[in-house]
Amino acid sequence: MKAKISLILPIISVLVLLLLMPLVLKNYHLNILTEIIIFALYAVSYNLLLGYAGLLSFGHAMFFGLAAFVTGIAIIHLKGIGMITAIFLGVFSAFLAGVVIGSLLLRHKGSYFALLTLAFNALFYAVATKWHSVTGGDDGLNVPRPELNVIFAKIPVETVPQFYYFTLIVLGIVILFVWFFTRTAMGKTVLLMRENEERMKFIGYSTNLSRLILFIFTGTLAGLAGAFYTLHFRFVSISAISVEMTTVVLLMTFVGGTRTFWGPILGVFVYIILQNYLSDITDRWPLFMGLIFVFMVLFIPGGLSGFIMDMKERVAKKREVALEGNQL
Amino acid sequence: MKRRKKGWLFLLCSFLMVLWPVLAMGADTIKLGVTEPLSGTFKDIGERYLDGVKYAVETINAGGGLLGKKIEIIPIDSELKPDVASRKAQNLILKEGVKFFCGGTGSSVGAAMSQLANRENVIFYTYGMEAASLTGDKCNKNFFRATSNTDTRSYALAVLMAQKGYKSIAIVAQDYSFGKEAVAAFKKKMAELSPQTKIVAELYHPAGTKDFAPYVSQIVAAKPDAIFTPNWGNDLTLLLKQGRPMGMKQKIFSYYINDEVVIGSLGDDSLVIGDMGVEIYTLSAPTKKNKEFVAKFYKDRGYYPVMRGKGYVATMFWAEAVKKAGSFDVNAIIKAWEGLSYDGPAGVWTMRAADHQTQLPFWVVEIVKNNPYYKHAFEKHAGVINAKDVEVPVDQTGCKMSN
Repeated sequence: MKAKISLILPIISVLVLLLLMPLVLKNYHLNILTEIIIFALYAVSYNLLLGYAGLLSFGHAMFFGLAAFVTGIAIIHLKGIGMITAIFLGVFSAFLAGVVIGSLLLRHKGSYFALLTLAFNALFYAVATKWHSVTGGDDGLNVPRPELNVIFAKIPVETVPQFYYFTLIVLGIVILFVWFFTRTAMGKTVLLMRENEERMKFIGYSTNLSRLILFIFTGTLAGLAGAFYTLHFRFVSISAISVEMTTVVLLMTFVGGTRTFWGPILGVFVYIILQNYLSDITDRWPLFMGLIFVFMVLFIPGGLSGFIMDMKERVAKKREVALEGNQL
Repeated sequence: MKRRKKGWLFLLCSFLMVLWPVLAMGADTIKLGVTEPLSGTFKDIGERYLDGVKYAVETINAGGGLLGKKIEIIPIDSELKPDVASRKAQNLILKEGVKFFCGGTGSSVGAAMSQLANRENVIFYTYGMEAASLTGDKCNKNFFRATSNTDTRSYALAVLMAQKGYKSIAIVAQDYSFGKEAVAAFKKKMAELSPQTKIVAELYHPAGTKDFAPYVSQIVAAKPDAIFTPNWGNDLTLLLKQGRPMGMKQKIFSYYINDEVVIGSLGDDSLVIGDMGVEIYTLSAPTKKNKEFVAKFYKDRGYYPVMRGKGYVATMFWAEAVKKAGSFDVNAIIKAWEGLSYDGPAGVWTMRAADHQTQLPFWVVEIVKNNPYYKHAFEKHAGVINAKDVEVPVDQTGCKMSN
């Protein structure tokens, strides 16, 4: 019981803090915070593959980008479409892509899996680039933000704080749900699969099926992030579906650390804040991002969250030592 | 232990980096965001344009500023990606209330910026994005084009070639929207001005082609009197480099022939001498204001304002609109700019109210060996084509401006 409280308390306090943010922050920072929440879901879904299942994917952007494009195209071509329908269509397309690609990939692991996902991503990218009449090619698509109608009420989402609340509530609930998922039996099998797949098979689990479900699940989550990406920027271009978008999420996840659930969220926060400030100072900010990445790999392989956990343990140990010292 | 210390150091460094720009905030100035590719393949184009805008701003600031306020330039590296440019611009609007943006490279960036400008009610003007659609079906009241477009520039080249009385013309262009739009406009005007002229070859190659031999041999076999091409950059360099030795002797009429980087990289002047082009700003344009501008620019910078002149003149044009409006209010400036005429180094420019496309003269150049600017071959003034002769009627642009 005590353990549960210590888990839930920080979550609630973070949520309350985030809900109060529009009272404190200016639109500029709120806009960045919205971006952070969207990428947080993207990174969390990526970490389910990388951190929890130990599957390195170079193709996560295909789900993100596909849903981003489908949402955008639906809004442009289907007159009078509501926001929820548009998001649903985007997410559903990512789900379908997950089913098809996942069933082709589920027997592969390690570098085969990584390279195949890269190949699929390249395929999606090529289609987005060449299919100019639909995707806009290099020009991209300008996407207006449609109305948000929940049952009979029309909820305004035009201004920065309004869209922030909408993003925070929807994606916040989804991220909490994902956190809950990692603690269910299904979530635990993912960990088992990473640690000892042979043994799992002996016990009687179908690891292929588990992997497929996980792949579809993470793809769908990335798709939801992609749909919000389009709605947030009101623009979608081939950048959203490029391999670069995968390396960005890989970098975010790695900077934050893959060992914990909240590590990637921290990574996204640091990455986007740094990116915004660095690109103000220098045009060569990817160089500094690269240097930071190299530094992290060499000296803090556990990421920022790993570093913080280490510190916590050390402090706890010191206190124990100090307590023992007092007793003597 | 050592590792931990480095970890703390790293955290401290990143914290300082985050705080740095916050500590160095600007004073009360009018900010102008300039979206250009400042890294990557097209860096050289972006930096030359930015330099031109900077020079204009320096000139304005040296003369006491605009309506008594200094202008501050914020360079925005667009990476030639529309999403990057519009995201950075959006942040600048939210953070610093920037109301004015400009840019010259990439019509895709222009289309995204145009939408953003319209949504946020800020002004974006371009001095180099030429896709006709930007002031055509994608036009809006917040977007101004202070340069030519594919229609008018192709028209100008058609006027020039019709004057020369060529009986047959070969066309070679890049196989993407820009190349195709340029050729379509050229053929339309040519058929109108000189119906007897035949197009004996019309060839499209992928942008960034390495081997021009198949295209050149078709041109040579078609025996045209002259060649029209909207090619630019490396696609122009290689066309000349590989085509001339294969017997492609005809004069080439090109969109961007007077580019000192292209001619300099040829390494052999004989490949390009005699070719002609039209441009909205040229070093050799014989106006009194241009002579003064080129001389002053050379004195200040130590090089000539090729291309940079476009950014310069457009920014001066914008400043005129602000002066006429008498305030920095966006709606007032839009109103003031519509129909405004500006007599600058590149002649008289008039902003057409109906589609925000500047009506301007084209300066004709011919590439000659001896020129006052460079050791290698460069331009000589060879005439002017009036704005009236290349005007596209508003009802043909597809622009429906809403207020």
